[in-house]
Amino acid sequence: MNHSSKGNLVLGSLRELGTVGLVAGLSGAYAAVLIMTSTVLAAMSEESGGSVGLMLGIVAGVFILIALYVGAIVIIGAVDTVISGRLRHIALLRLLGSRAKDLRVSVVRGTATVGALGALAGVVVGTVLTHATRAVLVARGTLPEADYPLVSSALVVAFWAIAVCAMCAGWLGSRGVLQVSPAAALSGTAAPVTASGRASLLRAVVAGIGIVGGFGVLAAGALAGESAPEAGFVLSFFGAAGASTGFLVGARLVIPSMVAAFSRLLGRDPASVVARRNALLDPLRTTRSTMGLVIGVTLVTTFASGMAALRASVDAWELDAEQRAEALQIMDVTTAVLVGIIVISSLIAAVGFVSTMSLTVIQRHREIGLLRTLGFTQRQVRTMITKESVALSVSAILFGTVLGIIYGTSAAQSLVGSQGSGFVWGVPWVSLAAIAVCGLVLVLLASRGPARRAIDIAPVEALRIEA
Amino acid sequence: MTSTPFQDNATQPVVSLRRVSRIYGEGTGRVAALDGIDVDIHRGQFTAIMGPSGSGKSTLMNVAAGLDDATSGEVILAGAPLTHLDDDARTRLRRSEVGFIFQAFNLVPTLTARENILLPFELAGRTVTREQQQWIEHLIATLGLTERVGHRPSELSGGQQQRVAIARALASRPAIVFADEPTGNLDSRSSREVLTLLRTASREYGQTIAMVSHDPVAASYADRILVIADGHLVGDHGPLTPQQISELLIGFEVGAA
Repeated sequence: MNHSSKGNLVLGSLRELGTVGLVAGLSGAYAAVLIMTSTVLAAMSEESGGSVGLMLGIVAGVFILIALYVGAIVIIGAVDTVISGRLRHIALLRLLGSRAKDLRVSVVRGTATVGALGALAGVVVGTVLTHATRAVLVARGTLPEADYPLVSSALVVAFWAIAVCAMCAGWLGSRGVLQVSPAAALSGTAAPVTASGRASLLRAVVAGIGIVGGFGVLAAGALAGESAPEAGFVLSFFGAAGASTGFLVGARLVIPSMVAAFSRLLGRDPASVVARRNALLDPLRTTRSTMGLVIGVTLVTTFASGMAALRASVDAWELDAEQRAEALQIMDVTTAVLVGIIVISSLIAAVGFVSTMSLTVIQRHREIGLLRTLGFTQRQVRTMITKESVALSVSAILFGTVLGIIYGTSAAQSLVGSQGSGFVWGVPWVSLAAIAVCGLVLVLLASRGPARRAIDIAPVEALRIEA
Repeated sequence: MTSTPFQDNATQPVVSLRRVSRIYGEGTGRVAALDGIDVDIHRGQFTAIMGPSGSGKSTLMNVAAGLDDATSGEVILAGAPLTHLDDDARTRLRRSEVGFIFQAFNLVPTLTARENILLPFELAGRTVTREQQQWIEHLIATLGLTERVGHRPSELSGGQQQRVAIARALASRPAIVFADEPTGNLDSRSSREVLTLLRTASREYGQTIAMVSHDPVAASYADRILVIADGHLVGDHGPLTPQQISELLIGFEVGAA
C-alpha cells in the first residue's frame, strides 16, 4: 500500500502541519545553539588546559531534553488540531473504504516528514548562527583564537531526537482518527472526539503517588542538605522529577476546575460565563493548552527562586566583603544565563497555546455561529476568547510559580543547607512579577489570532447542515 | 392572492421585503438566489415558505432575519431598516426581536434544557423578570418538558430537543420566530407534535412564525403559504391541504422542466 500518496489524502497539504514544523525548527535551532556553544566553550577550555567539555555537554543535554518534552506536548496538540479540522474529510475517506489504521499511519508519516524538515532547517540555522556570533566575538577580541570545531556529532543526535519525537507526538496526537465513524460523512455531525473517563481512577492514584512521594523525597533532600550536600541535591532532583510526573499525569483532574475558578473572578457578564463553561467542556483540551505554559513558568521560576535562595544564604556564609560581592555577581550572571536559556522552552509553549486556542475555535464553529444568531455581538465573542485565554494563563502561571518556588528553594536548601541555619525561601518578587506579566502578555498576544478567526464566523454558520 | 383568517390589515407587517435581490458570485458564475422579491409577513400569522431545493427559500429567511445581506432592495424587520444597521446593531435587534428554530436543533450540548431556554437572556445580560419567569414556566409545562428541564440535550429525544428549542425561541416573546425545516430531523409523530405546537403558539399567543420547509404536510399547518422558485415569489396562498400543496409544487417542477 502506498502510504506516501495517502499522506496527502488525509492532510490535504503538509502545510496544515505548519505548527509542527515551527516547533521542530525552534527546537532544532535551540539544540544546535546549545551544542555548538558548548563545543566552543570546550575548545576554549582545552586551549587553557581545563576540561569542562563533558560537563557542558550534560548541561546542554538536559536543556535540550526539556525543550523536546515541551515540543512533544505542543506537537500532540497541533496534530490534534489539524485532525479536528478535517473530521468530515476523514469520515468521507473512511466511507470510501480507507482503513482507520492506514489513515493514522499516513498522519504520522506526514508529521515525521514535517518534523524532520523543520528540525533540519533549525539545526542548520542554529549552527550557522552560533558560528557567526563566535566569529564576531573572536574578531572583537572577546573570545580567544582557538581550534573551534565546525560541526559536532551531537547535532546528528539532536536532529534524530527531534524527528523521532515529532513522529511519536504525531502518533499520540492522531488518536482522533481512529474514532471517526464513516457515517459522520453522511449525517454531517462529525462531533469532535472527547476523552473517556475510564482510566481516571488509575490516573488519580498514579498522580497521587508521584506527588506525595516526590514531595517526600524533596523534603528528605532538603534535610539531607544540612549534612551531605551532594546526596541532598540528587535526592531533591529525583523528588522534583517524581512530583512533576505526578502533576503531569494528574493535571487534567485539577487544572480544569482551577481554570473555571479563575474565570469566575473575571466577571458575571455573559461572555465570562460562556468562557468559564468552555474551560470545563473539554478538560483534556484545557489541560493541554495550559501544560506547556505551566512547564515553562515552573522552569523559569525554579531557576529564579533557587538562585534567589542561594543569594539569600550568602549572607550567612563566612566571607569578607570582596568575596561576598564576587559571589553575588557570579550568581547574578548565572541566573541571567539560565533563565535566558530556559525562556526558549516557554516560547515553544506559546506556539502550543495558539494551536490549542485555534482548535477551540474550530471545534466550536457551529456553537459560536449559534451564539451570534442568538444575539452575541462580535465584541462579546472576542471578549469570550480573550477571557478564556486569561483564565487559562493565570491558572498556569500561578500553578507554575508555586511549583517553581518549592523546587528552587528545596534544591538550594539541599545544596547549601549545611552552610546556614534554617530554611531560606527563595521568593524573588521582581522576577516573579516579571514572569507573571510576560506570561500574561504572551498569552494575550497569542489569543489574538484565534479571536479574530472566531469573530469572522458568520451567524449563518449555525444554520448550515454541513457544519 | 387569498385572504387569510388571521390577517390584520390595520397593523404593520413584522417583516417587509421591498424589491430584495441577493446575488452570489460574478460574471458567468452569477446566481440570483433572490430576484426582486416583494413580500410582507403579517403579525400573528404562521407563514410557510416553500419551494424546491435551491429555490432561494433559505436565502429569503437569512435575509429577512438579518443573518445575510441583501444585494439590493430594502428589508424592514420589526420596524428597523436592516440595510442601514451595522453588525452590532443588527445583533442587538436579533437578540430582542427574533427567535430561531433550526433543523439540527442547535442546543448547546454542555447546558441543561433549562439553561438552554434561558441562554438568550444570559447572552443579552438581561435578568429574567418575574413575569418572564412565569411565562417560561408556562412554556415548559405546555411543551411537556417539566420532567426533562434538568437534563442535557444528549439525554433527550429528537422531539424533546426540538421542543426545548421552541421554548428557547418563544421565551423572550420575540416579534417573529424563524423556523428552518424544524421537522427535517424528526420522525413523523414528533413532527406532528412540533407543528401542532407552532400552530398553537401562533393562534393562542399571537406569535408570528415564518417556517421554511419543503414538506407539504408541514406547510399544511400554516395560515399562509408562500412559494418561491428560482428566486421569485410565484405563489401566495391561504391554508391548503397537503395534497393541494403537493400538486402546487409538482406543477412548478413540471413547469420549470
